[in-house]
Amino acid sequence: MDVTIDTIGWTNVEARSWRRMTLVWGLTVLVLLPVLVALGAYMRMFQSNVLPSVAPEWFYAVLTLHSLGMVGAWFVGTMAGISYLLSKYTRPSLAVARFAYLGTIAGVVLLIACTLVGRFGAGWYFLFPLPLYAQGVWSPWATWTFFAALATLGVCWTIWTLDLLRAIAQRYSLGTALCLHYLAGRTAPEVPPMILISTVSLIANIAGLVAAVIVIALFGVQALGVDIDPLLMKNLTFFFGHLLVNVTMYLGVAMVYELLPLYAGRPWKTNRVVAMAWNALLFLIFFAYFHHLYMDFAQPTWVQTFGQISSYLLSIPAAVVSIFGTLALVYASKMRWRLASILLFLGIMGWGVGGIAAVIDSTVEFNVRFHNTLWVPAHFHTYYLMGVVLIVLGFIDHFSQDVSKAGEISSRTKWTVGLLVVGGYGFLAMFYWGGAHSVPRRYAVYPDEVAQGALYARLALAFIAVLFLGIVIYLWETGRRCLKGFAS
Amino acid sequence: MPQRLRVVTARPAIRRARQALASCLLLTLAGRVEAQSSMGTASAEPPDEAAYVYKQLPDVPVLGAGADTTRLSALWQDRPVLLVMVFSRCAGTCSPFLRSLKSAVSEAGGAGSAYRIVVLSFDQADTAADVEAMGANAGIRPNTGWVFGIAPPSDIRRLAEATGFWFRWDPTTAQYDHPSMVVAVDRGRVLRMLVGATVSGTELSEIVQEFGGKFVPAYALPGKLAFRCFEYDPTSGRYSLDWGLLLLFLPGGFAVAATMSVFHRASSRVHRDAHVRRETGSSGAGSAS
Repeated sequence: MDVTIDTIGWTNVEARSWRRMTLVWGLTVLVLLPVLVALGAYMRMFQSNVLPSVAPEWFYAVLTLHSLGMVGAWFVGTMAGISYLLSKYTRPSLAVARFAYLGTIAGVVLLIACTLVGRFGAGWYFLFPLPLYAQGVWSPWATWTFFAALATLGVCWTIWTLDLLRAIAQRYSLGTALCLHYLAGRTAPEVPPMILISTVSLIANIAGLVAAVIVIALFGVQALGVDIDPLLMKNLTFFFGHLLVNVTMYLGVAMVYELLPLYAGRPWKTNRVVAMAWNALLFLIFFAYFHHLYMDFAQPTWVQTFGQISSYLLSIPAAVVSIFGTLALVYASKMRWRLASILLFLGIMGWGVGGIAAVIDSTVEFNVRFHNTLWVPAHFHTYYLMGVVLIVLGFIDHFSQDVSKAGEISSRTKWTVGLLVVGGYGFLAMFYWGGAHSVPRRYAVYPDEVAQGALYARLALAFIAVLFLGIVIYLWETGRRCLKGFAS
Repeated sequence: MPQRLRVVTARPAIRRARQALASCLLLTLAGRVEAQSSMGTASAEPPDEAAYVYKQLPDVPVLGAGADTTRLSALWQDRPVLLVMVFSRCAGTCSPFLRSLKSAVSEAGGAGSAYRIVVLSFDQADTAADVEAMGANAGIRPNTGWVFGIAPPSDIRRLAEATGFWFRWDPTTAQYDHPSMVVAVDRGRVLRMLVGATVSGTELSEIVQEFGGKFVPAYALPGKLAFRCFEYDPTSGRYSLDWGLLLLFLPGGFAVAATMSVFHRASSRVHRDAHVRRETGSSGAGSAS
């Protein structure tokens, strides 16, 4: 069966240029993956007490780079994937994609400079007013370089997002792209789920990026001596952060909706339930982030209550409908289990596992126990590492086979999947175990009261080694195909 | 370290002569002290607590009365420390401040067991015995968690730099101008700061709770912050919406407006292209919308 994505209305030269651009994005993500995993391993080494002579400031600088790097890498990974897959239906701008790539590289360079040279260590959430109060740990230039990095990435990604929306708008009206006619009981014109999910995600993404711009501007106002409400800053920061992470996941899901049917040999069409689910998500996604502020006593109770309800409702449309849809698609189908399809399938299931942990954490009664423990990194690493990362790796593998026409070796696929699953879930289990035993998050060195955290960190390192091995095999196989595709 | 002149009772003539001599010496000494002992920039505004929280304090020696010498790190190693800087010749706030601190410490409890109070003189002219006598005058009994002492001038400067404390010799009053402040220190790092001529028992109790790892909520004063989301009324315990909340709706509003604009422009273009095609008589593929 041909699993190639056809492009519409492209000349051969244009189609080739798109493939090369997507290859560049894919190879960039593949280069970043082992580097960022190594940074994560470095942090767990720190927590294992194997680096006693290194200053804790380095832990926080690496934490900032690792977390922002991971969030950024997988966001651009899904955006690049969506851009390519959308080219089947619409005409995104190649020039904008190139601009976004150059801007992303510039942002990453600035980010590396402020963290690894400047030792900026306020974390990816750069919670107000911490970046402005370095207390001698990092220099003011590192703070402003960090904001310059965020601004650069924010501007490029906003333009990229608007261009993808423009491309969708060239073929679909807003109501059609949001499948509102399905809600009214009509099924014509037929709209692929990927168009619906992409439209919803891109609209939400604009809101998140605008929130980031406001946050950066208000940091500047604070630096000028006008005191800003910290509660407003925290709301805006998590509005941006939560949306960016969720949008990344949803764009990944859009790719699954588009690619998995190619391997299942069945169509996955939009219907009324899917349309309802994703339109409900477009409303709820703006309020779910409140669960990041449960510990903020200054936030009124009715806001917290609304946050919990939104978090619960958000998980039903997106996750339940998509997971159920995936299982229904695969069930009793003539599924072609290749590396790409396995990773796409496991990614959706990983999203489910991480989603359950997230819903538990978004429950106020649990959150007061779990909030500052390793449970939090456990749940977001689950839906990232075992969710969106696997989906993007699945897409890149699918794409590499598409462009190189090179097949895969079954035994290596089994090894890759086995090592990724055992290493990944083992690594996550140590986070969950630590969280359940009150081991706090964001600690470079664990105090005596929670010294067991060092043991869990050591065990996590063993699983990271297994995971890394899986990544190396994946990189060897898929990277090779990507390079072959690039050469051709 | 220069010795402070002590006033003693004597016959009037001798006493006057001694007083005259003492005045001369004091003026001479004062000039020297002024040259050596002013530190930091005088300000009517209290030090900004946020700029100093979590800062590491220098580990300076604390010279007590007699042969007692220890280091600040030895004091903060096993329990937190409330650090206070005064001078014994102070005719202004120092003694009332110490009495206020003593009263607040009694109200908060835990002195000696949960934390120590370290009172250091920043005046080079003071001896440890002077500082201890100052404490005794304020009614503070020794061995109840209070440590009185002095430190070398260079170390006092380092401490002042790390906490935002400043002092300036005023030759007209022969007094130091300085703020009154309590610096709460946990494992060598600044945890909180209380600034003002009196120490509130409630605020000190909050610090003691923070020493014990308890979360203490704090509310900004109304009108002090820009773009408040909610205004809290501590008397009624109620929240009211404030203008900053509108900023939370701005990203969503912008996203909706930008999306509508993008789709509207595309739609106009489609209609424009269709119109051109009709006019030129050509046909093209229709959109799916």
